[in-house]
Amino acid sequence: MKIDRDEARRVAALAHLEFDDAGLDRMSEEMTKILTYIDQLREVEAGGFEERDATVTPLRVDEPRPSLDQELVARNAPAWRDGFFVVPKVIGGE
Amino acid sequence: MSDVLRLPWTEARGEVSPREYVDASLRAIAKSDAELHAFLHVNAEAGEGALPIAVKDNIVTTDMPTTCASHILRDFVSPFDATVVARLRARGASIVGKANLDEFAMGSSTEHSAFGVTRNPWDLARVAGGSSGGSAAAVAARMVPAALGSETGGSVRQPAAFCGVVGLKPTYGRISRWGLVAFASGLDQIGVVTKTTRDCAEVLGMIAGHDPYDSTSSTERVDDYAADVDAGVKGLRFGIVREAVERLEGEVRANFDAAVAVLRGGGAIVEEASVPAIGYAIAVYYIVANAEASANLSRFDGIRYGHRSERARTLDEVYFDSRGEGFGPEVKRRIMLGTFALSSGYYDAYYGRAQRVRARLRHEFAQAFQQFDYLITPTTPEPAFRIGEKADDPLSMYLSDIFTAPANLVGIPAIAVPSGFDAAGLPLSLQIMGSHFAERSLFRAAGFFERETAYWKQLPKLAGG
Repeated sequence: MKIDRDEARRVAALAHLEFDDAGLDRMSEEMTKILTYIDQLREVEAGGFEERDATVTPLRVDEPRPSLDQELVARNAPAWRDGFFVVPKVIGGE
Repeated sequence: MSDVLRLPWTEARGEVSPREYVDASLRAIAKSDAELHAFLHVNAEAGEGALPIAVKDNIVTTDMPTTCASHILRDFVSPFDATVVARLRARGASIVGKANLDEFAMGSSTEHSAFGVTRNPWDLARVAGGSSGGSAAAVAARMVPAALGSETGGSVRQPAAFCGVVGLKPTYGRISRWGLVAFASGLDQIGVVTKTTRDCAEVLGMIAGHDPYDSTSSTERVDDYAADVDAGVKGLRFGIVREAVERLEGEVRANFDAAVAVLRGGGAIVEEASVPAIGYAIAVYYIVANAEASANLSRFDGIRYGHRSERARTLDEVYFDSRGEGFGPEVKRRIMLGTFALSSGYYDAYYGRAQRVRARLRHEFAQAFQQFDYLITPTTPEPAFRIGEKADDPLSMYLSDIFTAPANLVGIPAIAVPSGFDAAGLPLSLQIMGSHFAERSLFRAAGFFERETAYWKQLPKLAGG
């Protein structure tokens, strides 16, 4: 599988990662090499095998229970005010 | 606390007080870690404890930072302890430090740590392996008697092999992952590094078992894991995975053949087994693991915790710049590969196909375990490589997990046991895989091999004494 610069740019946007042109070229080259190795999976006969494991993860009972103290959460927050995480203005910016 | 789990400086002296034991561990760290860099944080205030232990720095602790060896979590201190940490503390252990790793456990050498490589105690010019390289080096240099690591595709067993210590990846679900920073949730499992098999069994017993905070943790009974360590291997059936070993040559081949002879000498039945799809494990692994990683690591967005870029002026810039500045190149590479494999138009050709091959692999292992109690391979295709040797070639780095990744994809337990040294004095290792929840039986086989060979008694020059 060949990944070109435009494809790398499309994937980077989906992944919320930014690269300059040189970074995109390096990334597309490395991805091409790794995906070429991975493409050997095309030769494996895996018909009849399901994509998903049939076992289901059990869920706990949905009961309210105490959660983390806000003060503890605030300690790791990059920006915090009045019990909220602060982010740049999303609507009606300049 | 049992009288195992002793370091050399306590073995000679009989009983030591918990305070002395922790202090001795801290002194050994102070002596050796400037050269090895096995630790990212050391808790000089670690209280007294019956057992000083190191924990990989992607397992959260309230009394030390948890960085995942990433700039994006450089200053993060968890508001809670991981379940494994809480269980260790409840049983009298002291967490003396947080062990180095490849950033977010993505790598096989700790060269991808944002805070510098861990060196191999047997040869400082070589890697300690990864991603749990700090955990393995700390035990090999006898700075701690035990360390926790984590596995997604061999990240405990491969560094254990490179450093000449015992490394266990338990069955998927055997140990709670609450507080283990997620890499690939369908594969991740906490593992144990120790100098001997019995120590490993003891530590597993301290941390295994169901946890309501991790719904994938199993309700299967916690066994007396050390019960059969001395029981021998007479009549037990070992299968040599033909497709894994047929192309081996040189010292690794000779070492593996010698290991087989040791097992046969104990009355084990060793025959050829076949797992035809095992050669595809790395290709499957790098799709499945990276797909899950790309989703899991989307939580690092600069909003709730972790690094936020100072130049970000819009919400999008907070995401893109914080992640761009915070993540290292290998993490970005894996997020890119995973995002690609899940993206529209490629999902079935990559993720779907990889999952179907994984199902085939699971089926083949189940078939093999109808005939055999164990499947064996070398743990790694070569001993520890030189620092920098694979740095520019991600694919060749990935291939160092070729024998270990299958157990993660299939969910079975597997253990790495020291099997001797090559001509350069570098440790080699035997991998023993068992069926789901057969940890007790794994320790039986590993215990026999270890007693017959006693390689664990050889110490690297750097070992604290």
